[in-house]
Amino acid sequence: MILEATNITKHFGGLKAVNGVDLRIVPASIHSIIGPNGAGKTTLFNLITGAITPAAGTVMFDGVDITGWSPERLAKIGLARTFQRTSVFRNLSVLENIALAIRSREGLSRSIWQSVRSEEAIAAEAMEILGRVRLRGYENSKAGALAHGYQRALDIAIGLALKPKLILMDEPLAGMSRGDRETVAALITSLRSALGVTIVVVEHDVSMVMRLSDRITVMQHGQVIADAPPAEIRDNEAVRKAYLHGSFAT
Amino acid sequence: MSDHTATMPMHAAADRRMKGLALLVAAAAGASVPLWTGNVPFVLILASQAVIAAIVALSLDLLMGSTGLLSFGHAAWYGFGAYLTGLAAKMLTPEMLLLLPLTVAVTILLSAIIGFVLVRQIGKTFAILTLALGQIMFALVFVMSGITGGEDGLQGIPVPTALGFQIAKPAVWYWLLYGILLASLAGAFHIRRSPLGKSWLAIRENTERARFIGLDTGTLKLLSYVVSASLAALAGGLFALFNGAASPDMLNWFESGKVLMYVVLGGVGTIIGPVIGAAVFTVTEHYVSSVTNSWLIYFGGFFVLIVIVAPGGLFGAGASLWARITTARRGASA
Repeated sequence: MILEATNITKHFGGLKAVNGVDLRIVPASIHSIIGPNGAGKTTLFNLITGAITPAAGTVMFDGVDITGWSPERLAKIGLARTFQRTSVFRNLSVLENIALAIRSREGLSRSIWQSVRSEEAIAAEAMEILGRVRLRGYENSKAGALAHGYQRALDIAIGLALKPKLILMDEPLAGMSRGDRETVAALITSLRSALGVTIVVVEHDVSMVMRLSDRITVMQHGQVIADAPPAEIRDNEAVRKAYLHGSFAT
Repeated sequence: MSDHTATMPMHAAADRRMKGLALLVAAAAGASVPLWTGNVPFVLILASQAVIAAIVALSLDLLMGSTGLLSFGHAAWYGFGAYLTGLAAKMLTPEMLLLLPLTVAVTILLSAIIGFVLVRQIGKTFAILTLALGQIMFALVFVMSGITGGEDGLQGIPVPTALGFQIAKPAVWYWLLYGILLASLAGAFHIRRSPLGKSWLAIRENTERARFIGLDTGTLKLLSYVVSASLAALAGGLFALFNGAASPDMLNWFESGKVLMYVVLGGVGTIIGPVIGAAVFTVTEHYVSSVTNSWLIYFGGFFVLIVIVAPGGLFGAGASLWARITTARRGASA
C-alpha cells in the first residue's frame, strides 16, 4: 500500500465528520472517494494532506507514519495535492508557477545565488511538465489570466513538478464545462500511465469517476459504506440508497 | 500563439535594455545633486534626508512587497537603529565602519527573536502586533530617558569617522548615503530575481499553495522580516550619525504611517517605486509645509486619490501606462 489510513477520526463539535475511516490505496492506481454532500470526503482529504490533524487514527504513507504532518513536510516526501477552488500563483507567469515547485523539491527555495545553468535546467523541466498538461505556449502568460480549465491543469502541473509518489485531487472536475471535464479526466488517466503516479480523487461527478477509477471508496455520514472496483460499486445496494437520500450529483 | 511567444524574448530584451538605461540615467541624475546645489547646503541636507527616507521605504517594501506582510510599525526598527547607533557612538567609538555593522548585527538578532513570534500571526494580527511593537519601542525611549534623553531626544552624537577620517561635509554625506541606497537597491533587485525572492513572491501570491509545494513559509517570512528590519535599522543609524541626534518622533506610529504611505504611493512590491515615493514626498513635504500648516490634509487627500485611481502606486500607474504605449506601438508596427 502506498497510503494506508487506519481508524481516522475527526469530530467538529458534536458532528462526526470522519468517524473511524480506513482507507487503503494501491500504488499506481486511480482511487476515487465519493459520497453525498456532507459525507466527510473533504474532511478526510484534509486529514490526509495535513491541513487538519486527526483526533484519532494513523496515516501511513510509503511506510512512514505521517499522522499530523504539516503540508510542507508532506510535499517533501512526495505527497502532493490540488485544490477544489483552483489554487495557483495568479500574478506569476505559468512557467514560474512550475519553477517554484521544482526549486522547492530541489531544496533551492532559500538560495540567494543561482547559476544561469540551473535556472535553465529548471525552465526546461518546467516546459516538459507544461507539455504534459498541454499548457505549452502559455508559459509566459500570467497564471491568473488563463481560462478556468487551463488553471486547473496548471494546478495539477504544479503538483506534478514535486515529482510526487501520490497526488490527491480535490474535485478536479468541479465547476467545469463538459468539454473541460473530459480534458481533465483524460489528463488524469494519462498521468497515471505515463508517470506511474498514484492518484486519489475526491469527486462529485459519479459517472466520470466510474470510468476513471480502478477502485472507489464511498462515504456517508463520516463512514465508509463501500470500497470496491467501479463495477461492484454500481451494483451496491447501500451506495444506491445513500445517493437516493443524498444529492446524486449526476 | 507560437508566433506570439517566439517574439516575446525580443521585446523582453528590448524592454530590459530600456529599463536599464532609464535606471542608469536616474542613478546618474541622483548622484549629480551635490554638483548643482553647492551654494545651498540646505538643499543637499534635504536631499540626504530624502535618500534616508528612500532606504527606509525600500526596507519596508522588502517585507510588504515580497511576502505581503503589512507592517504598521516599521519605524520601530528605524528608530531602534538610530538610538542604538547614536548611543554606541557616544559610548564606544565614532567609527561608523564599526557602528553600522554592530547596529545591523544587533538588529538581526533582535528582529529574529521578535519576528519569530510575529510572522506566525496572519493578516490583521500581524499588522496590529507590529503597531504595538512600534509603540513599545517609542515608550522605551521615555522609560529609559536617563540614557536616551527622553523627550529631548538623544543629543550630542559625535561626528562619525570612516577609517579614521571625519565625515562632516554635506556632499560627502550625500554621496555616502546615496551609495548605500544604490547598493541596497541593487541588493533588493538581486534578491527579487533569486530563488529566495521568488519564494517570497509565492507567499504573497498564495501562502496556502506555497505551503503545499513544500515551502517553509514560516522561515521564509522570518527571513524577509529580518532583512527588512536590518535595512531599516541601518537607515536609522545613518540618520543618527548624519543628524548628530535622534528624536523619539522617529519611533512614533506617525513615522511608521509615513513610511507605509511612501511605499503605497510609490507602488508596493515594485522596489523602485517606494524609493521614488519616499524621495518625492520628503521633498514635497518640506516645501508644502513651509507654505501651509495643513499640508497633511493635502497629503492625505492625495493618498486617498492614489489608492483609489492607481492602486499600484505612482510607479505601478506609470509602468502600466508605459506598457500600454509600447503594446500599442507594437500593434501598430505589426
